[in-house]
Amino acid sequence: MPADPVCPVCKTVINEDSARATTGQTMYGANEVDPNAGTRSFFNGEWYYFCTLQCRTRFLTAPNTFIES
Amino acid sequence: MEFAFTPEQEALRVEVQQFIAENVTPEIVAELEDTGIRRRGPKTREMYKEIAERGWIGISWPKEYGGQAGSRIDQYIVEEEFARAGITVGGAGSGAPAILAAGTEEQKQEFLPGIIRGEISFALGFTEPQAGADLAGLQCRAVRDGDEYVINGQKMYTTAAHYATHIYLMARTDPDAPRHRGISIFLIPMDTPGITVRPLWTIQNDPPAPLGTTYGDNRTNETFFENVRVPASCLLGEENQGWYVGAMGLNLDRVGASRYLISIQRDEDIVNWVKDNDIEGYAMREDPALRDRLADMWIEGQVCRLMTMRSMSIVETDGNFTYEGSAEKVFAPEHGVRTTETIAQMLGPYGQLLNGSEDAIESGVFAHNLMGAFQSGINHGSVQVMRDQVARRGLGMPRV
Ligand SMILES: Cc1cc2nc3c(=O)[nH]c(=O)nc-3n(C[C@H](O)[C@H](O)[C@H](O)COP(=O)(O)OP(=O)(O)OC[C@H]3O[C@@H](n4cnc5c(N)ncnc54)[C@H](O)[C@@H]3O)c2cc1C
Ligand SMILES: [Zn+2]
Repeated sequence: MPADPVCPVCKTVINEDSARATTGQTMYGANEVDPNAGTRSFFNGEWYYFCTLQCRTRFLTAPNTFIES
Repeated sequence: MEFAFTPEQEALRVEVQQFIAENVTPEIVAELEDTGIRRRGPKTREMYKEIAERGWIGISWPKEYGGQAGSRIDQYIVEEEFARAGITVGGAGSGAPAILAAGTEEQKQEFLPGIIRGEISFALGFTEPQAGADLAGLQCRAVRDGDEYVINGQKMYTTAAHYATHIYLMARTDPDAPRHRGISIFLIPMDTPGITVRPLWTIQNDPPAPLGTTYGDNRTNETFFENVRVPASCLLGEENQGWYVGAMGLNLDRVGASRYLISIQRDEDIVNWVKDNDIEGYAMREDPALRDRLADMWIEGQVCRLMTMRSMSIVETDGNFTYEGSAEKVFAPEHGVRTTETIAQMLGPYGQLLNGSEDAIESGVFAHNLMGAFQSGINHGSVQVMRDQVARRGLGMPRV
């Protein structure tokens, strides 16, 4: 099992299952997720998980500062 | 140049007003006020069918796609009267102008009659976390794989994603091309596997805005695409031409009654209210200073109206529509901000009480409009971006 992802900005551990868990469906059949379980972003071919939109914004402004090589 | 409506057009307006008086029941108002379902409530959908049967949606569209091949001005009149009742018919964001202009025959057959019947509606999937004003920087990827595209990425502020049947998605199909030339548009059903929606709550979240509020939606969304496979037939227009298709569609979507009504319904509402009401025994309609402010506001509202009429007549006569929609999208939202500020000054503290407060004026619509006014300067192309388009297309200045 890969470890849970970490918010690349503030290093909070994100529970990937909760972030992805379907909480319901939109009226025309798209899955909905819990807005309080963090967010994510597709960057350079990978999904990155974030605790909040603020952390994601900081990341996307200067991704290389936060990506550990 | 003709500034009056014809007698037939005035008759159409009366007919629409009658329909609204007879058909917009309290049950329908309740559905429309429920921001979770809006136009998709069962009673509302029945009403849309009836509106469509009367031939009032897509009046100017070709007959083979369910339209009437009629006049855009007639369409405008219908849209205007419904918008006054808080009901959108075939307005901005329907996606239809772009489908009419760039769609294949199959796409026109698939979508346009459904839009007319109220069965199909699009969410607009353009903005991303790092691509809003600078939209050409978008990252969402669509990779061709045989007869399909595989889409990965995400969209921000996809406003109607939670009640739309489809999304009108802008994605990058050629990452090596110059930014504007590697983008394509896709028309994708929302129930395609791999699409996920995450709610974002707006300035109008709590309490819910009353019907008739300009930009009263309490919710917008983030939308994620994860290995979403769609047939190549979802492509609208040619591959890598999406920037131009999208810009043309956005421009055309800005033209018409909804834009104008967004600008002036608040003006009409406050004028009517001031005529009929006092605040703590004070009759504002008799105060010369306040009448001056209302007159100023009204004059600006008429400028919005004339700008809309000009845009529509250009479109109606297949003229060259360049900066006009952008100019309108600067003046009208900023008029909205000035208007709602003026109204807030006039109404004082009561005017700030929101929906649900016992003492709120008109269910708080003026207070909710004040908040909504700030959204219109940003959504559907921010006023700064619109000014830049006026500078380039209207004044012939270089792209910087
Ligand atoms: C309520 C709401 C609903 C929306 N609905 C949708 C929708 O359904 N679908 C969709 O795709 N998008 C939607 N949007 C997104 C909207 O189109 C974007 O917010 C807008 O394009 C601005 O992009 P941004 O948020 O990334 O801000 P930024 O691009 O970060 O810009 C922030 C501010 O800076 C200004 N700015 C940026 N660059 C310049 C410059 N070079 N010169 C001068 N000023 C500049 C902008 O005008 C803006 O005021 C919605 C937005 C809101 C608020
Ligand atoms: Zn974080």
